[in-house]
Amino acid sequence: MRTDSLVDRLSQDLRPVRRRNIVREALLLLVLGVVEVAAFLGMGFMRPDMPMAMDAPSFWWKLASLGLIAVLGAGVAILSADPVRSPRRGLRWMLICIVMIIASGWLIDASGNGLGDLVRRLDWVHGLQCVWKMIALSIPPAIALGVLIRRGAPTDRGGTALAAGLASAAWGAFVFVFACPSDDPLYIAVWYTVGCSIVTILGRAILMRLSRW
Amino acid sequence: MAAFEPGPAAMAPIVSGDAPGENWDRMMAAAQVGDANAYRTLLAQLAPWLRRYYARRLPPAMTEDAVQDVLLAIHEKRHTYDPARPFGPWLAAIARYKWIDRLRSLKAEAAEPLDETIGVPDHGDTVIAGSTFRQLLAGLKAPQAEAIRLVKLEGYSVEEASRATGQSVSLIKVNIHRGIKHLTNMIKAAGDAD
Repeated sequence: MRTDSLVDRLSQDLRPVRRRNIVREALLLLVLGVVEVAAFLGMGFMRPDMPMAMDAPSFWWKLASLGLIAVLGAGVAILSADPVRSPRRGLRWMLICIVMIIASGWLIDASGNGLGDLVRRLDWVHGLQCVWKMIALSIPPAIALGVLIRRGAPTDRGGTALAAGLASAAWGAFVFVFACPSDDPLYIAVWYTVGCSIVTILGRAILMRLSRW
Repeated sequence: MAAFEPGPAAMAPIVSGDAPGENWDRMMAAAQVGDANAYRTLLAQLAPWLRRYYARRLPPAMTEDAVQDVLLAIHEKRHTYDPARPFGPWLAAIARYKWIDRLRSLKAEAAEPLDETIGVPDHGDTVIAGSTFRQLLAGLKAPQAEAIRLVKLEGYSVEEASRATGQSVSLIKVNIHRGIKHLTNMIKAAGDAD
């Protein structure tokens, strides 16, 4: 097709478009987050010892850490779904946050017992169940971010998809915190890392393909 | 959020004489609310700008396809333009994204026969065309640059390039594939450094 013909075709029957609105998209994700937490708890998944758990520093450590990564990742993903914005600096900040979170987890752990009961603490049967649930809970945010990114026009699709994958992983883990019976930083560091890594790697691969334009 | 920076694409080089039109911001804003005349005028003005942009960055046979690809992308993604910001960086970002996309597509086409119109040696435009592309080739390993130059710029078949360079047919294909991957990484890295 000649370029002149293409110009004519594109400008014929032009329809008004609704511009992207970052605040609207952020609010949409916030509503989805609230709905997912409410639905998850409404299905009876809340840990039975929640009042006691809220006294443990490690409970607030994992809740705040995962919430921070989810918010930061979602922010990076939707902001970088704009041709002129790069996700790279945001991703660097996320990496710094993750390192600080892991380091603070080890500090909390250092105040506990030794290494003798390592295998018991890791509790791989429950750990794998945690991983599975985290992955399931990360699917709604991954779909929502995928839709928003696809509607946008990211020019660093790898970076934007990585931010969205990280956000989905942290989001799923954040919601799961309300059900997770363990507050052991070692258990959390190992199994949450496994779950988040799986979601991040898969999410990046899938969302990068979906966001092609 | 303070964690964001203008993307590398926002600073894609707009060479002298290629400066975007002064009214493009206004025309794009009008197009977003359905003004077909403003939109047609805008696209008609963008086409030559894009031709000049790609003439320096792609083999000649790919230029017009790249121009049309960007016009389609602008159409599909016109809701992502924010009229509060200048149009030039938005356009440059999309043009640069599609440039990298086109370079990647060269890898997929590495073993396909080439259009005979590629690289007509004494055509005036061709001498200028691909100049940035050729500068980028200088950053590659010699066998990779040679394979890309012969097959992608000068229109040799993979077999002919193999005979000319002494590289096997498979090696020519591998060098094209790796060379173009390296090229796209170089462009991205240059953008990130900006």
